[in-house]
Amino acid sequence: MSAVTEDERAIKWSYMDHWRSNGPTGPVDQWHSHKTMSAFLKQIKATGFDAIDTFDFRIWQMYGDYGGPAKYQEMVRDHGLERIVNTFHAADYDVRNYAPHLPETHANILEDFRVTMGRWSEIELDNIIVMPATLFYDMEPITEDKLKYSAECWNKVGEITAGFGVKLTCHHEFFCGIQSEPDIETFYSYTDPRYVSLFVDTAQHCIAGLDPVALYDRHAHRVSGFHFKDTRNVATGDDHRHRPDSEIMAPTTGKWFYEMGTPHGLVDFEAMMTAVRDNGYRGWISVEHDKANKEGGDYSESTAISRWYAKNVLEEIYR
Amino acid sequence: MSGIRWAYAINQWKPQFDDFVRREQHERALKTMSIAGFEGVELTYGTGRWEPLGNPRQLAANFGSVAGFREFLHSCAVDAVSSWYWDPAERSMEELTGPLSPLTEADVPAIVARASRLAEALAALGGSVLLVRPVPGAGDVEPLDDDALDRVAACWEAAGRATAEHGIRLALHVDFLSALRRDHVPSLLDRTDPALVGLALDTGELTAGGIDPLAVIERMGDRIWHVQFKDALAVDDAEEYLQPHAHWTVRVRGGAREVRWFAEPGAEGGLVDFPAVTRALVDAGYSGWIVVESDQSPHPAASALLAGYLVQRELRPLVGSAAPEGVS
Repeated sequence: MSAVTEDERAIKWSYMDHWRSNGPTGPVDQWHSHKTMSAFLKQIKATGFDAIDTFDFRIWQMYGDYGGPAKYQEMVRDHGLERIVNTFHAADYDVRNYAPHLPETHANILEDFRVTMGRWSEIELDNIIVMPATLFYDMEPITEDKLKYSAECWNKVGEITAGFGVKLTCHHEFFCGIQSEPDIETFYSYTDPRYVSLFVDTAQHCIAGLDPVALYDRHAHRVSGFHFKDTRNVATGDDHRHRPDSEIMAPTTGKWFYEMGTPHGLVDFEAMMTAVRDNGYRGWISVEHDKANKEGGDYSESTAISRWYAKNVLEEIYR
Repeated sequence: MSGIRWAYAINQWKPQFDDFVRREQHERALKTMSIAGFEGVELTYGTGRWEPLGNPRQLAANFGSVAGFREFLHSCAVDAVSSWYWDPAERSMEELTGPLSPLTEADVPAIVARASRLAEALAALGGSVLLVRPVPGAGDVEPLDDDALDRVAACWEAAGRATAEHGIRLALHVDFLSALRRDHVPSLLDRTDPALVGLALDTGELTAGGIDPLAVIERMGDRIWHVQFKDALAVDDAEEYLQPHAHWTVRVRGGAREVRWFAEPGAEGGLVDFPAVTRALVDAGYSGWIVVESDQSPHPAASALLAGYLVQRELRPLVGSAAPEGVS
């Protein structure tokens, strides 16, 4: 591929922040102090990422420790990164008061997003990312009605976020109620493409037994972003509905997620990047490797390896 | 545009002899260096089957040949081995030799031959400098008199002549335990041919030894053939370097205080002013590799990335050297 200038790049890379830092007493959250935050941002910048993504619940630390999202974003920029691109709304799903498939909880959900979007309104986000369903075992049996109620919920939420200039986009964890291919298709058939987008997490779909490339190709017109991460395992048996938790407590593995570029990864990233190119996508790709520190992993190294792969393999396909 | 290129030293990934022996570990370390903006890697001499990157024979045993190792480097987007650090006091299991000393005239032929073999491999790996520990530690030899310095100079001049045949420069790496630490470096350098022997400036070692690297650049800038950037977190102001076997008790253990001596540039509590050293090197007309290192790190990848940030954002702009493709 011929040289592409900075301004001509179709793709920019954002880092989804699940980091843990090294403290004198052991691992600490990088939000522990300005010093640990600076060390985190330096490492993200050093590997060539352009920006970061974050979690919604970090907003309290942004307000408490930095003076708000805009002030925190200034620190991000001082480290040579462009901005905060996306935020992940990690809601406390509960069938008593917060469950998209239960219409009686929708008012609570909508109010949550009105408040949330107000809190973020001082900076410009591309997406607010949600898991669009409760945990699988709180939603099963998965019925068409439940998928329809969920879609209706997110249509309304998306209308609220659109009012703030932010896309509402759905990220289908393998352990949430909308994770199988037919259920995802049914769900999107009831959603309004103006208000509900798809955020393709390569590992989550792969774990759930879907081909993320095929899923992306089918819905490319409404895909608003990606988490590029890898896995070495496909969920088996009841992994997706393991009580009380599937994400780090399922019997198959204690570590579902790996950085892109890991040996024995199941995601075909070259095919994925080719699809991104062929669908004419322009914008941000987020890189993620949540729980990278499980079983002896290291966030710094995983960040380096994944960005190395993006630069040396994927950018040769499309950039 | 200066002729300065940036590399990272591999030694921080190998805290113990049985660590860092597997191919996938090497691959991840090299990719980490590469994405942090470093073009080259500095190797440290080692011997035996658990030192796959330690010497040319082990490279061949593990990668088919020295050329095979270079292909491996390229597959990790690392361009070259910038340099190799060798202490002749390290035995060689491959050649069945024990410690060699430049103070012992009978050892000189073996030292020259070993330097030549390392230089030959280094040339094939795209490198340019063989770093040597010029004398043992201060606590392990008698004080160096004129006769001793003459013998040391003759040894390294002969070795430098041998490495030059492969296009490789020989640079004396003076560490903070060195018998040369007490003002002997100029005396030794003055005894050597400037075309055959140069100096490796290690910011961390000098600082830990109570020597200002800026003063060394000012005084001997024209003899500097290689640079290592590491930070010092403590100074040996109690002169513990004079103890016998100080390698273990002082360097590795951290002396009576059990301090951590070294870290990557820019580490908290670091004593070295890297922008000032960088500017001084540029002013002195230095051209060649600057190898960034921590020596040992509890978190090697983090050390490499934090150092990469410092180089990319603060130091590289001072020297005007081009960034590798994709590094801003």
